Formats: sequence, structure tokens, C-alpha cells
Amino acid sequence: MAIHKSLFASLLICLLFQISHGATKERLFSDLEKGALEVTAKPSREGVLDAGIDKLSITWKLSSTATKEAEFTTIKVKLCYAPVSQVDRPWRKTENELFKDKSCPHKIITRAYDKSPQSFEYTLERDIPTGTYFVRAYAVDAKDHEVAFGQSTNEAKSTNLFSVQAISGRHKSLDIASICFSVFSVLALLVFFVNEKRKAKIEQSK
Amino acid sequence: MASNEEGSIGTSMHGVTAREQVYSFSVDASSQTLQSDDPTAKFGLPVDSEHRAKVFKPLSFAKPHMRAFHLGWISFFTCFISTFAAAPLVPIIRDNLDLTKTDVGNAGVASVSGAIFSRLAMGAVCDLLGARYGTAFSLMLTAPTVFSMSFVTGPVGYLAVRFMIGFCLATFVSCQYWTSVMFNGKIIGLVNGCAGGWGDMGGGVTQLLMPMVFQVIRLAGATPFMAWRIAFFIPGFLQVVVGVLVLTLGQDLPDGNLSTLQKSGQVSKDKFSKVFWFAVKNYRTWILFVLYGFSMGIELTINNVISGYFFDRFNLKLQTAGIVAASFGMANFFARPFGGYASDLAARLFGMRGRLWILWIFQTVGALFCIWLGRASSLPIAILAMMLFSVGTQAACGALFGVAPFVSRRSLGLISGLTGAGGNFGSGLTQLLFFSTSKFSTADGLSLMGAMAALCTVPVAFIHFPQWGSMFLRPSSDGERSKEEYYYSSEWTEEEKRQGLHEGSIKFAENSRSERSRKVALADFPTPETGTPTHV
Repeated sequence: MAIHKSLFASLLICLLFQISHGATKERLFSDLEKGALEVTAKPSREGVLDAGIDKLSITWKLSSTATKEAEFTTIKVKLCYAPVSQVDRPWRKTENELFKDKSCPHKIITRAYDKSPQSFEYTLERDIPTGTYFVRAYAVDAKDHEVAFGQSTNEAKSTNLFSVQAISGRHKSLDIASICFSVFSVLALLVFFVNEKRKAKIEQSK
Repeated sequence: MASNEEGSIGTSMHGVTAREQVYSFSVDASSQTLQSDDPTAKFGLPVDSEHRAKVFKPLSFAKPHMRAFHLGWISFFTCFISTFAAAPLVPIIRDNLDLTKTDVGNAGVASVSGAIFSRLAMGAVCDLLGARYGTAFSLMLTAPTVFSMSFVTGPVGYLAVRFMIGFCLATFVSCQYWTSVMFNGKIIGLVNGCAGGWGDMGGGVTQLLMPMVFQVIRLAGATPFMAWRIAFFIPGFLQVVVGVLVLTLGQDLPDGNLSTLQKSGQVSKDKFSKVFWFAVKNYRTWILFVLYGFSMGIELTINNVISGYFFDRFNLKLQTAGIVAASFGMANFFARPFGGYASDLAARLFGMRGRLWILWIFQTVGALFCIWLGRASSLPIAILAMMLFSVGTQAACGALFGVAPFVSRRSLGLISGLTGAGGNFGSGLTQLLFFSTSKFSTADGLSLMGAMAALCTVPVAFIHFPQWGSMFLRPSSDGERSKEEYYYSSEWTEEEKRQGLHEGSIKFAENSRSERSRKVALADFPTPETGTPTHV
């Protein structure tokens, strides 16, 4: 009962956190200035890239059409899912409300805003899932609110996409440990069973 | 042959002629001191004529009753951890294995479907091999499937492994069977409720345990996609350890292990076909099958979908959603025992009829709160609805197993198995109907599931015992059929009765007189069939 009460209490505290935190978050993606930054992302090789091994050459610079440049303080570069990787996967859904949007979960780099063109050599992290991606850079103001963005693909998100193959997560040592423990489990059971049957027979013959 | 009435003057003559059959009366602990080779003196707790404990002391480990209780619920708890271990890690697993929502949903259905078959088989295994081996088989033969998560590379492998891990939920049946043979009918509701509830808690604990283990392994340096596989070694290892404990510390029956007792002739081996037939022929088994499908069934479904529901609908962070999901499962700690206790209390006042009413009330109230949960659009209301829903449904599970032990004595194991299988069937069905398609949102799915549960609880009104009545009907007034002995010995053929194979059922029938309501019990003082004592 005590466990239940303390769980409920911690739940209430988390709730209050969420409620207060959520009050300020109705900023929309559609309000952001499109194409304020020119972003390119060039894979290190052709074909499907391997997570943990292959690299992306990312560059970004201020676009000539940008108007809100004065507010830019930081640039956040992120890896985003292309529409084909969002099919039947509601946890990667694109939402207009920025705090709800889940289509760009992977952070690449965050840098202070600089007028000159910037570049970054990004090695695909080992926790990037299999899928098709593009790169987006958000321009963020001093209040940590997004004001503009630029992306390496077009508005329909159909050009300049690249594919990544995730690591398998398997390892030979794991496989061996798994087999050893499994064999032990079955053997132990058999040994007990046979032993007891034998003891019962001995009892009966006494 | 001289025979005695319980607790009456003249019991001191018991044992004089040495021709009395030992089982034809229930003894109190006090009258035992007269016999020097009293077999019940070796028990740590007071026992009835079948050597089942009459008191429940949860903090004791006395051999064999309380030990069986603790080993039983811990085995079941471990299996719940393994079966739902994947649920809180799904956000990582779905990225590693490139799963879609359909893949995740199907694996959820698979995780509870395997147990439909294994719970059926477990009933038979317990009747034939004993509860200890039933539990140990379940734990130690499914441990390899838990370890085999290291090999999974895609949706098919994931579904297959979750399906196979799900087989271990058969420990539910062996656990309830074990407590039913170890504890007297008067307290069986509470005991089964505690064992079941504390076991079910595993479904809540796993939502906290697995993310924690995952985090620790990541801190030790592993990548996420390897860390979740390593995390699965914990439930697997637990299963092996508990399996060994069950085999070394446990005991099948109050008097010893089944194989020893069978070989020495104290317990007769029953025929599976007969056990099966009498379980299947009894219509009450099937009503319990449906009822449990909509109490435990929806509980299992919620274990699989609730974390994702709060994460998506209310945009909670993963850890917060996990805490909410855990709260649902952890309420089992007191909710299910409460259901069992309420059932026992109702039985004391109103007999079996009270048990049936309590079952109906809890299950219907739980279902109504489930409907409310789906309708709630604000987080605090949703959490309140969820907690009330969890208490109602889990108490209903506890109350149901206050009734199940009385449906049959001969086929107790198989009926526990069939009822348990019904739980998993209900879960698979509700997940398939309401949570695997995009026809309804998860919120609507929850409300529809609650409505279906409320409807499928109505059949409890049709459970009728001739000796005790039902929700709306009184017990039979026929002199023959209104006796407990008639009901329980009707499971044996005349031939078997002549061989004396039904004696266990007769013992049970006497002890089950507690299921008459207080009014009836006072008016009708139980007398043995053999007539008045001649020595008075």
C-alpha cells in the first residue's frame, strides 16, 4: 500500500511539472521562416550508409532570402525522417505544434550562430535506426524559441534523401552467453526430474 | 462402526475402537493432543482434515504451506516480468528492429496468446505431476526463450520470441493450484488473491525495472541497440534461480511430494481423460472462462497498451508514461487480495451467493471505469479513472478465484488452467479487436473494451450450485442434491466410487460446508452420513 501511495504521489508531482511546462508551448512549425538557411548534407559514399561508420558532410549558411537574421543566436542541426520512414509509425509523426513534433529526434550539432558559412563532419551515431533521412537546421533565438529553419531537401521532402542501415545490436559474446544459460536451465531441470523419479522408485522398492 | 460429531462431547472416545475411518470428521487442533502419532503436529500452521492450512500468515515461511505460497507467487511474479519485459523497451526495440505499429501490436497479441495453450496444459500437468514440476517446467523451459532475444533481428523474430516467452504465464495456473491444495476453503479467496495479485504486480514492476536495467547497462558503455538485449538476461536469470528454488524448497502437497505419495499409495493417480471430461462438461467452467477473459484479459491488454496511450495522447515523457503504466500494475499488490478477502467475507455472511455477487459488482464497476478512461480528455481525470479501473478489475480477478476452487474437486487443476487460458484469450481478442487497427483511436478502443467487459460479466448470474444457490436463485430444496457431497461425488462414476477413489472429494465436500450462508449453517448443523453414535 505504501508503494502504491508513494507512486501516486510521484505521479502527481510529474503531472504538475507537465502542466506548468506545457502552458507556453503552442508555437507552430508553419510560423517559422522557411528556407532561411541553405543546408546541404553529402554522404561520404554512395548507397545505403552504415550507422556508426559512415559520415555526412553537412554545411549551412545564411540564405539571401532570410529576414529574421537579427534574432538568430544558435543553430540546431538535426537528422529528420523522410515520409517513407514515417508510414505506420505514429511515434515519428510530423505535427505542426513544435513541442509535439516527433519527426526530427536526432541531434547532430548545436552551434552559436555565425554569419559565415559553417560545416560539420557528422559520423552517424550507433543508435540511428534504419530509415531514410534528410538534414534540417533550426535557427533559434535567445529565448530558445525556433524562428526559422532550412533543410537539405525540398518542401515535399522528396529530393536529396539518403538511407541509413542501423547496427544489428547483436554480438557473438551475447549469443554464446545466451546459449550457455539456456542449456544450463534445461539441464538443471532434467537432472532434478530424473533424480527424483529415481529416489521415488527406491522408496517404493523399500 | 462408531463415529463422532465434530466438537461434541464424546470425542475423547475417538481412537478407542481403532476402527474409525480417519477422514470422516474435521478435527480442531485442540483434539489432536490426544494422539501421540498425530500427523498434523508436524505442520507449522493449524490444518484441516485434508492437512490444508486454516490460517494465512504472509510473513511466515513455514513448511510446507507458507513456503508453497511464497514460491508460488514469486514464480508467477518472475514470469510476468519476463512476459511484459519488452513493453517499456519498445521505443528502443522498434528502432533497432525497424518495426511498424502493426508489428508492435501483433507482437503484443502474440505475447499473451501462447499462454492460452500452456495454461490449459498446465492444469493437466498439475493434476498429474504436481504443482512443483508444473512451476519448474514453466520457468526453466521458457528461460531459453527469454535469453534468445539476443538473436532477434526483425519483426518476425521479435513476434516469435514474445510468443514463446508468453508460454511461461502458465505459472499462474500452477501457483493457484498450489495454494488451492495448501489452504482451506474458508481463506482460499484471500490466499489466492494475494498470490495472484502479488504475481500480477510483476507486470507493473517490469515497467520500472527494465528501463532501469537498460539505463545501467548503457552507463556501463553499451550502445542502446545492444543494451536492451543484455537487459533481457535479468528476467531470464531470475527465472532459472526461482525454478531451482521451487524444486529444492517446495513440496507438492501438505503431506509430501506427489510422486512419493503416489508410489506409496496415499494419493491415487487419476486418468487425464476423466479429469478433462469433467472439467469440460461443467458449464460453470466456461462461464468462468469468459469472465476471466474480461477481467484478467483486459488487465493484460492494458499492460501492453497503457504506456503508449499516455505517451501519445497526453504527450508525457517516456519515464512518466512508464510510471503511470507501472501504477496500474502495482495496484495489484492490494487490489487483488482485497477482492479475494471481500469474497471470503461475503461467503462468511451469505455463502457462495455472496461470492458471486461480489464478483459481479467488482467486475462491472471496473468495466465502467474503463469506459470512463477512454472518454477522459484531461490527464488528472484519466489517471483517476485508470486507478479506479485497476482496483475494480483486479479485485474482480481475486474474487473469481474465490469461486473457482469450488467448481470442481477432481478437475481443480484443469479448471484453473481453463480459466487462466480464458484470461489470455480475452486479452488476445481485445487487443486484436480494439488496438491493432487504425479503425478506432486507442481512446475509443478503451471505451469499447470496457463496454464489452460489462456485457460479458452478466453470465455470472447463471452460475448455480444446487447446494448453495446462485445470484438470484436459492439452493435446491431436494434433500439429496442440496448436499455438498452429492455435487462433488457426482464427478466420479459408480465404479470409481466403489473403489473408494472419490474419498478426497468427500473430504473436500465436508470442508466446503463453509460456503453455506450463515443463516443456513446455523439452522442445519452438519451431521455425518453414518448416523448417530452408538456409544453415547
